[in-house]
Order: sequence, then C-alpha cells, then structure tokens
Amino acid sequence: MKKALEVSLGIVTSVGGFLEIGSIATAAQAGAAFGYQLAWAVLLGTVCIAFLLEMSGRFAACSGHTIPDAMRERFGINFFAVPLLVMLGVSLIVLAAEVAGVGAALTLATGVPLPVWAIPAALLVWLLLWKATFGVIENGVSLLGLVTVVFAVAAVKAHPDHSRFAAGLIPTLPRHDRAHYWFVAVSVLGASISPYLYYFYSSGAVEEKWDKSYVGVNRAIAALGMGFGGGLSLAVLVLGAVLLHPRGIDLEHYQQLPLLVTPLLGRAGFWLVVASLGIACLGATLEIALALAYLVAQGFGWSWGEDLRPDQDARFSLTFTAIVALAALPVLFGAQPLKLTQLAMVLTAASLPVGVLPFLILMNDESYLGEHTNGPIGNAVVLIVSMLALVLAVVSVPLQLVGS
Amino acid sequence: MIGLVHDVLDKQIKDRDGENAGRVDGIVLELRDDGPPIVRYVEVGPITLLSRFSMRLAQWYARYDRKLGNGRGQPIRIPWTRLTRDGPTIDMDLDVEATPINALEDWLRVTVVERMRLP
Repeated sequence: MKKALEVSLGIVTSVGGFLEIGSIATAAQAGAAFGYQLAWAVLLGTVCIAFLLEMSGRFAACSGHTIPDAMRERFGINFFAVPLLVMLGVSLIVLAAEVAGVGAALTLATGVPLPVWAIPAALLVWLLLWKATFGVIENGVSLLGLVTVVFAVAAVKAHPDHSRFAAGLIPTLPRHDRAHYWFVAVSVLGASISPYLYYFYSSGAVEEKWDKSYVGVNRAIAALGMGFGGGLSLAVLVLGAVLLHPRGIDLEHYQQLPLLVTPLLGRAGFWLVVASLGIACLGATLEIALALAYLVAQGFGWSWGEDLRPDQDARFSLTFTAIVALAALPVLFGAQPLKLTQLAMVLTAASLPVGVLPFLILMNDESYLGEHTNGPIGNAVVLIVSMLALVLAVVSVPLQLVGS
Repeated sequence: MIGLVHDVLDKQIKDRDGENAGRVDGIVLELRDDGPPIVRYVEVGPITLLSRFSMRLAQWYARYDRKLGNGRGQPIRIPWTRLTRDGPTIDMDLDVEATPINALEDWLRVTVVERMRLP
C-alpha cells in the first residue's frame, strides 16, 4: 500500500516536474513553425529521458550512491572535473532561463517589466530552498505543477488532425527552412533530456533511502511519469500546430504563450497559462539549483541534504545560494527569456554525451549494480539519442546562424 | 591486497559517527631503503585536490587558506592507521570535528550561515 502511494506520488511529481519553460517554449515553437512535423522529437526525447531517469533511480536504489558520487569515485577527479564543469556551466544557463520563466509569468500577471522580477523571483526560490524540506520541494511544488494539465485539456478541445499528428511521430525531412527545422528539433531534444532531472532524481532516491525493493516502483515512476510529462509537451506542440501554424505566427516572445490557450479557454485560459508557466518554472528552478548543489557537494564529499538545516551543511547551502544569485543576473540585465531558453536547450543537447557516456559506463558496472546492470536496449537508446543530439546540434547551429 | 588508486583514491571518507568527511584527495607513501614503500597518510582537502591539476593553483589556494587560522595552508593528513575500508567508502576512526577537514565548513557556518538566521 505504501509503495502504491509512492508510485502515485512519484508519477504526479514527474508529471508536474517535467514541463518547464524549455519544454513549453520549444514544443510551442516546433508546433508554430512546422505544425505536427516535429512531434517525433518530443517523443524521442521523452523515451530517452524515461530511460535515463529509470537508470538513475535504479543506480541509487541498488548501490546507495548518487551519480556524481560514483563518477568521482570511479573515474577520479581529473575526469570528473569535465562533466562537473560542463554541467555547471550549461545548467546555470538553463537555470537562468527558468528564473526568466518565473519572471515572465509575473510580468504577464502584473504588467511590471521582467527585470524588476529577477531579484524577487530569485529570493523566493532561495527562501524555499533555505527553509523547506526535500519532500515539500519535490511533492509540493510538483503537485501545484499539475495545473499544466490545462495544455492537455486545451489540446483535446482544439480537435487536432489525428492522422497528421500520428504521421508527425515518424521523423521526416523538412519541406522548407531546413536549418531552422533541425535547430528546433535539437532545442526540443535538449528541453526533454535535461541532465539535471536525472541527477536530481538519483539524489532524491538516496535522500529518501531507497533500496533494491524500489526497483519496480522506480520503473513505474519513470515510465508513467515521463510518459504523461511527454504527453503534456506533445499537447503544447499540438496547440502550436492548430492555433499558431495556420496563421503563420512564429513564437518569438513569451507574451505570445497565452495564445496557445486563450482562443479555446478564454480569460480563464490566460490565467491558467500564467499559473502553469510560473509554477512549472519555479519547480524547475528549485530542482536545478538543488541538482547543482548536490553535484558539487557529492563530488567533493561534503555533508549534503535538503533535509539538513543550513547550519548542518553550510557549504551545500551556500552553494545553492550562489547558484541562484548567479542565475538571476541575466534576467536582471534584460536577457530575453525565449532567446535564453533556446540557447540553454541547444547547449544542453550538445553537451548530453559528456554526462551520459560516463553514466552508461557506471550503469554497466556490476560492482555498483550487481545483477541490475543495464540491458542492451537501454544502453542503445540512450547512447544513440545523446549522440544524435550532439551531431544535430553541431550541424544545425552554424546553419541556423548563417541562415538568420 | 589493495589497489591504492582503485580502492582508496577519490573515495568518500566517513568519520566515526558516519558523517561525510571529504574524499581521499591524495595518498602519502614513505620510501624505504630496506623494503617496499609503505602508506603513511591520506590527504584531504582543496590544496591536495588542486595540486592534482596544477601546483601553482594549489599554492595560490594555500596562501588564502593560511588566513583561516594556525596550521592552515597545508594539506590535511589523516594517518593510514586510523582508516579502514568499508566497501566503496573509507571509515575514519576519528571525529571529523577533531580534524581540520571541516575548517572551511565551520568558518562558513559561523561567519555566514548563522548570521542569516530566518524566522
């Protein structure tokens, strides 16, 4: 009974935690620019993150180790420094985009310019991290994140063309704007396969003292949670395809996001989109800041834990404090949220192999996982998708820059 | 039989109460004329860690570390005899607070965190 409750809560958490500014913005851009044609990228990204999440939970449950902990231990500091620095750099930009997302929601709600919200948004995030326990952060904010289901409701009401949507789930070559097509595809992959998500998940599993009896629970959470979360991203893409694409509207400003819902749900839809954006980005901000503090603290062997008081893990607490402060700077100095998001998602996609390849080596190491090492399908899916993301990023970014 | 690099270097150290006490950042061997080298200490902390990338970086950090108090500014050494292997972790038969390992943690707690008390 307790495990069934944990599965339900875990799935709700995953659904609430999946959607953030990256998924919303890139799926909406994909739908607006190419109709249903890029649905495959959302599907591929979702399958890959579901595999990665399942692996990171299994790793924590079977070994009692988090991923950064094992990476440092297995590969030594000279190797570990590479994923550490890449992850810190890229995720800081993602975090800045999420802070911008929180600010954008507040701007939409109040009309007060975005840079004004940089410090209040960062302070709110910091206060929650400083005072709240892991359970409050993981479950509380993610439960509120279920408001993002509004995108699924709107997508059903939009009466999408089912056969064209199904056709979009199979990759096809673009008929126009090739460079832009691949660039958006890379952004979608980067938004779906967020490394912070599986780093955060493995630390959460250790914080909640998972053991081998959680292997099945973990599998259910990863498959169903990411499945539903990916479904919400597809709903956003459908809304872009039905409402924006036929009118030739490209998503260029976050102020256009309510257009995804207001034609179907009116004024209530506007407020639901604002709430979805604000809460989803707040949840992601908390998770990324914690994931990065975990990464540093575990890598260096410090005391760490969101359930400890800040005076019990001063270095850990001051690390997330510094990270949140740094992430607020781009918004404070007027960075454009959608541009920041796109940059963050492309960099995430390009850097995927740096974290994924050593992680796969760990997942095949019997000294950590015993009989629970990876099978060939999991290895192949994660390896192929992360290499594909890197290749597409390397090819499409220069083309996009030349094209624009 | 123990592989120092495989089984000791970079492993998590836990103190006698199970608290995290840093990682094994370096290993000190004593060379002897009358026998094979023997392990004397493990080193913990940023100075040793940075020296694995660049001695200049380690010396730069040590200059600042010296300002944290007497005995600072040099690698922290834990005698090999106080350590035992427990699977992938290294158990230290000492209280971490009785060593300088947490000096930075303690300094940050006293000078920053305790001044940021919220209701």
